[in-house]
Amino acid sequence: MTRIEQSATFAVWVTAFLAVMFLLTPLVVTIAVSFGSSSVFTLPPPDWSLKWYARLPATKGLAPSLVTSLEIASLSTLIALLLGTLCAIALVRGRFPGQEAISTFLVSPLMLPGLVIGIAMLQAFRELGLRGAWASLLVAHVVITLPYVVRTVLGALSLFDFSLIDAARTLGCSYLRALRKVLVPSLAPAFVTSGMFAFLASMDNYPISIFFTDAWTKTLPIQMLQYVEESPDPIIAAISTGLIVLAVLALLVADRLIGLRRLAEF
Amino acid sequence: MPDFLRIAGAGKSFAATRVLGDVTLGVGRGEFVSLLGPSGCGKTTLLRIVAGLLRPDAGSVYLDGEDITTRPPHRRDIGVVFQNYALFPHLTVAENVAFGLEARRATRAHTQATVARFLDLVHMRDLADRSVKVLSGGQQQRVAVARALAVRPKLLLLDEPFSALDRKLRETMQIELKRLLRELSTTAVFVTHDQDEALMMSDRIAVMNRGAIEQFDDPATIYHRPATAFVLSFVGMSTRLSGSVVDAGDGQVLVATAHGPVRARGAFPCGAKAFVGVRPERMQLGPGLGRENEIEVPLRDIVFQGSKVQLHFTAAAGDQVVVETVQLPLGFEPGAHIKVGFASNDAMAFAAEALP
Amino acid sequence: MTAKVAVARRREPVDRVAWLALPAVAYLVVAYGWPLLLLLARGVTGPTGLTLAPFASFFADPFHWQVVANTIKIAALVTLVCLLIGYPTAFALAWSAGWAQLVLLAAIILPLSVGVVVKAFAWQIVLRRDGVVALAMVKLGISSEPVRLLFTEAGLVLGASNVFLPFMILPIYSVVKLIDPRLNEAGATLGATPFYRFKRIVLPLTLPGILTGVVFVFSLSIAMYVIPSLLIGDRFQTLATLIGRSFLFMRNEQLGSTTALVLLALAVFVVAGSSILARRLERSQ
Repeated sequence: MTRIEQSATFAVWVTAFLAVMFLLTPLVVTIAVSFGSSSVFTLPPPDWSLKWYARLPATKGLAPSLVTSLEIASLSTLIALLLGTLCAIALVRGRFPGQEAISTFLVSPLMLPGLVIGIAMLQAFRELGLRGAWASLLVAHVVITLPYVVRTVLGALSLFDFSLIDAARTLGCSYLRALRKVLVPSLAPAFVTSGMFAFLASMDNYPISIFFTDAWTKTLPIQMLQYVEESPDPIIAAISTGLIVLAVLALLVADRLIGLRRLAEF
Repeated sequence: MPDFLRIAGAGKSFAATRVLGDVTLGVGRGEFVSLLGPSGCGKTTLLRIVAGLLRPDAGSVYLDGEDITTRPPHRRDIGVVFQNYALFPHLTVAENVAFGLEARRATRAHTQATVARFLDLVHMRDLADRSVKVLSGGQQQRVAVARALAVRPKLLLLDEPFSALDRKLRETMQIELKRLLRELSTTAVFVTHDQDEALMMSDRIAVMNRGAIEQFDDPATIYHRPATAFVLSFVGMSTRLSGSVVDAGDGQVLVATAHGPVRARGAFPCGAKAFVGVRPERMQLGPGLGRENEIEVPLRDIVFQGSKVQLHFTAAAGDQVVVETVQLPLGFEPGAHIKVGFASNDAMAFAAEALP
Repeated sequence: MTAKVAVARRREPVDRVAWLALPAVAYLVVAYGWPLLLLLARGVTGPTGLTLAPFASFFADPFHWQVVANTIKIAALVTLVCLLIGYPTAFALAWSAGWAQLVLLAAIILPLSVGVVVKAFAWQIVLRRDGVVALAMVKLGISSEPVRLLFTEAGLVLGASNVFLPFMILPIYSVVKLIDPRLNEAGATLGATPFYRFKRIVLPLTLPGILTGVVFVFSLSIAMYVIPSLLIGDRFQTLATLIGRSFLFMRNEQLGSTTALVLLALAVFVVAGSSILARRLERSQ
């Protein structure tokens, strides 16, 4: 390796190191603040304390919003997985006009501003007579999660060798049994990846959800932003740290199931 | 005459494995040398050291009188044709061939003329503006060769370039490559595990095994006078009869084998365990007069190979008897006991422990 | 970003398979496509029929031009910062192995899993005058006394880059991973210097990934709402924050809808433009 290549390689690793520091900064800061005793956000905190965590159960609105978010995220992800997989199969195996247009359409919610989609849905749902906040949230969140599923499963299906299903059938499986024994295990990583990202996208969504809240129905991000705007104190950091811990656990599970590297290929 | 390419004492280890050990090799100007050996013998490692893509732990490389051991690959003036061709997928055929010239800041006119000339030489002129992604294996190979030669390197290295091609195509490419190299007077080092390929193309062959060169000679010598048991068994087929030496002298030994006494060339002390190797086409079938060695063995298989017939016989444990003939005599059937004979001068004795 | 569709050549019940797509497509048409069309239709329909009056009055106000300019400027800066940091990092990710790769992957994916409110809130803390960044800048000699980065454009760019960086790294990484290392070796044996090899082999081959990353980050940046709300406040408005204010605080749905359509037009322009660029890239390669 020449001197130039060595310096370039060194610069790449230094940048990567700085990028890692940069990316982890908000998480580290959040955790540090959550264990601080002061109600002003000074770093480093004057003293360590668990008092903000002690106050968590009593925080108004936290539990309901968390439950709402989890419900909406799980349900919408499941629906998206079902609808999205069927659709991906059709797109890969079928031959009909407008396939490329359809797949672009299905993925487009990811690329357009959530705020705009939220407004459009708000006005349209009003028109349709869909009034309940919870139901509207669910309908909207399926729109958010569907693109993740379609894109990932479509990618995995295009790489799948369908002659394997033929091989299974010559060995005695029926078409459905062959699908179950050959296709499903092969798609499992795609399900896990897209399911995870869809779930997270739903849990994290603000721009669309903000239009479908009422006094009883709030998702977690909306509740948290309310805390930040009304009464900012480190309890928000405690909630955030809880979310970080959940995320770490989820990633550990995902790594065990399919390996972190697969997730990076979302 | 000094060597054009000289490798002196090259050594390389990866982790705890010694891949190359103290290898020395000299290649003359304009010569075509093959590095022949099984996978893992170190031939590709040696090639990459010469190309500058790998730093040796020990030893030096000299090209045209200069020590290039520490020079980076882009300053060595050595061309490489890779096993998977390594064509630039985002460039056309012509752009690939032009790459080296443009990298050396050749003028537009010179580049265009050179590219055209080399595309002609490999018969790819019509596909000049095609993307390389749609080419067949043979076409990609030709572009890779043209690309490497367009910058007129002092030395061309080829790493099993034809291994992915089918037989007919491979034979065509082998002939074309030799013609091209001769026309351009380019020195070449060719890595392969296919001994037919090496025998056919090379001026000299370096047979490698476990990181060392076992023999470096012209093809005829390699074939008829293998220096070690490994060379005997790796290059070509052979009959192998094992036993112990009962008499020695005058450059010959008498070996007592399961099939009777056999006289062969070699020098071993009495009592030493040895085996005798004979090339199949050097053996004759049926009873004959005046043959120095004769054994009788049952015929097992007859393998028809077009221009010749190979006969495999059932031999004692660990031995094998193979005879090659142009035409199968009448009455030969599996199971028949046939007399097989050969001259002592065609038989070579090797130490028994040397059996690979 | 178009999803490539591999068309399988089977003679089995082809049309029947196509029906599997119906539930998803129908759902999106009703829940997403139709609402957008409705928004568009409402936006160009006045009491007397088709009209562009709302847009005319929108663009007549210089303040709105400033808002559009703010949106594009911030998005461009964020994209640039993400590209400068993300491009080398993608290479590091592709080169790394073992625990180094795990650390990199975790650092990239974990923040994605945590949520924008958590991160924006953390940056609020970090960018204060007594925050970590200000103190670091003093230590490094960049500024003579602690600077407040909160409620500044610089702070917004920093915070948004932090949130969107993974979306630049991952597409570039997926392309870098596919580059055959033999190509670089081939270039070297042909006499190309390291810089020339980068310019004519690596860079062109990573261009599709760069394009994807740029489009992703730019699209996310023009649409972001939570991050500017928390990091820059009311003095600096983007299209997204203006939409939010119109609906939630000013109760001016008309302005909100019009602004939303402007933002939508911008987003569609970006996506369509990049699609054309991507196709041209594919053809030339």
